[in-house]
Amino acid sequence: MILANYLTSAAVFCIGLYAVLTRRNMIKMVMGLSLMEASTYLFMLSLAYRAGSTAPVLLSPPPGESTRALAHGNVADPVLQNFCLTAVVIGVAVTAVFLSVVVRIAQHYRTLDSDKVREMRG
Amino acid sequence: MTGAALASLLPLPVALPIAGAAAAPLLARISGRLPVIVSLVALGGAVTVLLLEAPAVFGGRVLVHYMGFWKPVNGHALGIAFAADPFGLLFALAAAVIGAILLLYTLSELGGLGPRELGGYACLFQLLLAALIGAALTADLFNLFVWFEVAALASYGLTGFFLERPIALEAAFKILVLTTLASFSIFIGAGLLYARHGALNYAQLHDALRGHVAAPDLIALGLLIGGFATKAGLVPFHGWLADAHTAAPGPVSALFSGLMVNLGIVAIVRVVFCVYGPGSAPVLGLLLTVGLISALLGAVMALAQDDLKRLLAYDTVSQMGILAVGLSTGTATGIGGAVYHLINHALFKSLLFLCAGAVVHRTGLTKLSEMGGLARRMPVVTTAFVIGALSIAGIPPFNGYVSLGLIHSALLDQHEVAAYILMLIAQVITIAALGRAAWLAFFRPREAGHGKLEQLRPGMLAGLASLAGCCVAFGVAPGFFLETVMAPAVSGLLNPARYASAVLAGAGRLPGLHIPFDYASPGELASAGACLVVAGALAWGYLRISEPAPVRVLRAAHNGSANDYAAYAVTGTLAVIAVLSLAR
Repeated sequence: MILANYLTSAAVFCIGLYAVLTRRNMIKMVMGLSLMEASTYLFMLSLAYRAGSTAPVLLSPPPGESTRALAHGNVADPVLQNFCLTAVVIGVAVTAVFLSVVVRIAQHYRTLDSDKVREMRG
Repeated sequence: MTGAALASLLPLPVALPIAGAAAAPLLARISGRLPVIVSLVALGGAVTVLLLEAPAVFGGRVLVHYMGFWKPVNGHALGIAFAADPFGLLFALAAAVIGAILLLYTLSELGGLGPRELGGYACLFQLLLAALIGAALTADLFNLFVWFEVAALASYGLTGFFLERPIALEAAFKILVLTTLASFSIFIGAGLLYARHGALNYAQLHDALRGHVAAPDLIALGLLIGGFATKAGLVPFHGWLADAHTAAPGPVSALFSGLMVNLGIVAIVRVVFCVYGPGSAPVLGLLLTVGLISALLGAVMALAQDDLKRLLAYDTVSQMGILAVGLSTGTATGIGGAVYHLINHALFKSLLFLCAGAVVHRTGLTKLSEMGGLARRMPVVTTAFVIGALSIAGIPPFNGYVSLGLIHSALLDQHEVAAYILMLIAQVITIAALGRAAWLAFFRPREAGHGKLEQLRPGMLAGLASLAGCCVAFGVAPGFFLETVMAPAVSGLLNPARYASAVLAGAGRLPGLHIPFDYASPGELASAGACLVVAGALAWGYLRISEPAPVRVLRAAHNGSANDYAAYAVTGTLAVIAVLSLAR
């Protein structure tokens, strides 16, 4: 059931967004953003799904299929899977920067509460 | 050189700074200043290549290069396309030239930093510039997202560059939260468009969307605009902007405000004009509203600031609003004014941030209330600041007069009188904010002197002089720039079908266009003069009264909480989607 995928991804996205908007603990905010990120991957992979399709590998096709039929027909969309691969790489880098900033904030302010770290306002 | 040979050079302006960025931290082991010098060489190479392309492109040709020579098959693009149209090339050139000026300035001002710091600085600086050039030249939606992320990662590092300063950490956290949210929005938007149309190339998407824009396409448009508006710092997506600019060193603020926020505007232009086409969705009215709100709110917040760099940062919000208003007219004059203002803003805001950085670096003061009497002690910086302020104020013969005049006349041509009046009000408040800052920091008499101030170094002088010179040049020769540069750029944006066919065919020409501008228009001169007088009175009055209640409410809404800023941005994106879907 591909609908379940969309529902799950929407639910995970909303849980992550809820954490970002309501949690003041910075680690929890980073976790919320990671959840949102993961939900976008699930969403993209679900968009790439075709009923009864095979993986987009054209070498040595499965029994009953020919390379030519595969190239013309029912394979999952590889471009959206590439989207996810790219975004995973970017996401790792961003999370690393994110956590290192949070660690430095924790070292400096001795708190993880984002409400206590707002010298700049107005 | 032939068109194909010129086009095959297109990846170089991006590849050179990236190579420089990779080399910078390694070269720092040999000598502290070497990374910055190598960056200058790399950017010089990028500028040379872009200038080589310039005559052909500004002559109306669109040069297209498909990465790895994966040319389109039966109208389906297989590879990533880089397409140099006049608009993209103009922004790429501006980014490379102003970036090089800022690096030269850095070499002078921050040359005393340790080799590790300078290596990292040069690396991040070049990565950001490479991302800006790439975003300007690419003709592929997903590639645009990648450049957005590269720019974002570099900007996180540069915001938190002075890690020992606590406010830099705070600013880095806020820019991380908001930009990450924006990147999800763009990612999903691009994915939706691909899933519906099976294409990422602007040209193919334009062909698919021409004539028929369905509800999911509008949701994708809303997500893309919401994401890129965060980068552009339009209200209500602007929470990160003021903090990031306040915490960073002077040249970095100049880079952020002069060039990086423009990435958002360039991307919005690409999505709205090149992909969807201005007529296919009710997006121009949305841009007008968002632009006016940004212009007014940014100006009011700037007037209320006590921190010099924060004041300039809020003014950036206001200027981005003016750009959006210019684009929203959808006419050659208005878009020409917006493109002109994009370049002008890059020039004068970089200049002002360099001045502010020089003041902060030399006196150690950040608050206007503590400064004063700097005109006698720093005459060069004062002159540069005044030139920058007059340029923003739209006083002839400086460059702001031309672009604002074009946008104003476009609004009047379309009988948008209310928008015109709101623009003038924003203009008055902006002039008052900058006039107040100039008075408090530079001209206010002050007895208690600071210690002896460090002299400006040659590189800093060269940086300030070249930016100020450009401000004047773009102000006194509008006919030349409009004819040779702005008109071709606007032609590409107003003829998306021609741009699309050029991208898919691998080469093409854009039709010619003329943008009229009357320098000595009595109405425009009179309104500039009237704005100046009213603004003088407003600044004088504002220095004497306590903060009015509406301003206090606005400042209280900017409460510094990352959660609340994220909530503003999410609400804004939802509102954009709702407006686009309902107004259809």
